[in-house]
Amino acid sequence: MSEQTIRTSSRKKTTPEQRRRKKTIQITLGIVLIAVILLVSALFQNTNPKAGFILIIGVLLGYTLQRSRFCFTASLRDPMLTGGTLLTKAVIIGLAVSSLLFMAINMSKFGLDLSAFDIKKVAGNVKPAGVNTAIGAFLFGIGAVIAGGCASGTLMRMGEGFAQQWLAFVFFVIGSMLGVFIMVPMDSVPILKGTAVFLPDVLGGWIPAVIVQFGLLALIYLLAQWWGNKKSSGIV
Amino acid sequence: MEEKEKKQSLWEFYFKREWSYTTGAVLLSILAVSLVLVTGQAWGVTGVFHVWGGKVLSWFGINADAFPGFNGAVGKYIFANSQVSLTNLGIVLGALLSVLLAASFKYKKIKSRKQVVAAILGGLLMGIGARIAGGCNIGNFFSGIPAFSLAGWIFMVFIFLGAFIGSKMLKKWFM
Repeated sequence: MSEQTIRTSSRKKTTPEQRRRKKTIQITLGIVLIAVILLVSALFQNTNPKAGFILIIGVLLGYTLQRSRFCFTASLRDPMLTGGTLLTKAVIIGLAVSSLLFMAINMSKFGLDLSAFDIKKVAGNVKPAGVNTAIGAFLFGIGAVIAGGCASGTLMRMGEGFAQQWLAFVFFVIGSMLGVFIMVPMDSVPILKGTAVFLPDVLGGWIPAVIVQFGLLALIYLLAQWWGNKKSSGIV
Repeated sequence: MEEKEKKQSLWEFYFKREWSYTTGAVLLSILAVSLVLVTGQAWGVTGVFHVWGGKVLSWFGINADAFPGFNGAVGKYIFANSQVSLTNLGIVLGALLSVLLAASFKYKKIKSRKQVVAAILGGLLMGIGARIAGGCNIGNFFSGIPAFSLAGWIFMVFIFLGAFIGSKMLKKWFM
């Protein structure tokens, strides 16, 4: 708790009167926006009974991303660019918490002996793993750093008012269409298409998978800790 | 006056103060798991982008469903039935809500030609990369590794390598 300091950006060149006005206008608009979100959720409910819930989870995801300045791109870029690993470590903590929760769901679905295992029913995404994953992730990593935001980060910055990310989004959409075309010939080559692999299924049960999964997460966390200490005094 | 001061600090405490990265990470995890529990489908972002592109083309009379790999996705598309569309809209609105309640919304215009090139190149690479890998940093990675997916781990290694090369390019050409 002692780490939590109040960080507010200092704004120059505005009078206290202007600042008060700006504050009133923005907070009022914020409250109007809450009403709009609730109204839109209710409207979507007519088409899909889960739409309101999904939209509001999305709003909470966006709120959380913005409020905590969370950025997956920075978590990958900063260790190299600035030596900072605080965000990297936070991502690992997030993955560990999610792993635990998803594991509980999948254990209750498939049983501790995986007797009811079905790759199509895994909670979470088990996407095809192959050469395509490596190439795609590599290109994605370059793009995210250059554009200053990954998938979630681009959407978040669009909401924050960054024009650059609105432009990046347009080309993200165009790139996605190109990517679909590129995947058509790749889909006929097994190694380029990939195969979905659920680690407990191939490693011989939950126990080895848990050891590998949490062992790797712990190792990366310690590496990030060591790198952060080495590169700087550990501050962002 | 004293009460007014106190009110202001409460507002700052609840709406202005930033959360720690770890708080953010844990909350994102909990939200992502809630989504799966209720809908059965994990959080993703980019899976719908090509359909959005096709939808825009359809307004200009171009039938994107005839394109290779689209498989009639545009014709079948209904916004309210698409979880990815709903959460994407939610993320934009949620970030906007966060800056409005903190009274820190500010339109940031594009400052240089470099930023334009960066946005175009970066956007294209992310789009192509996400479709080839079958998911982005959310769908394949943040919803993948927790599902004990091999693809999630491969994605992590190679997005990191890509980010490393991207940082070099950023330093050389875009900063």
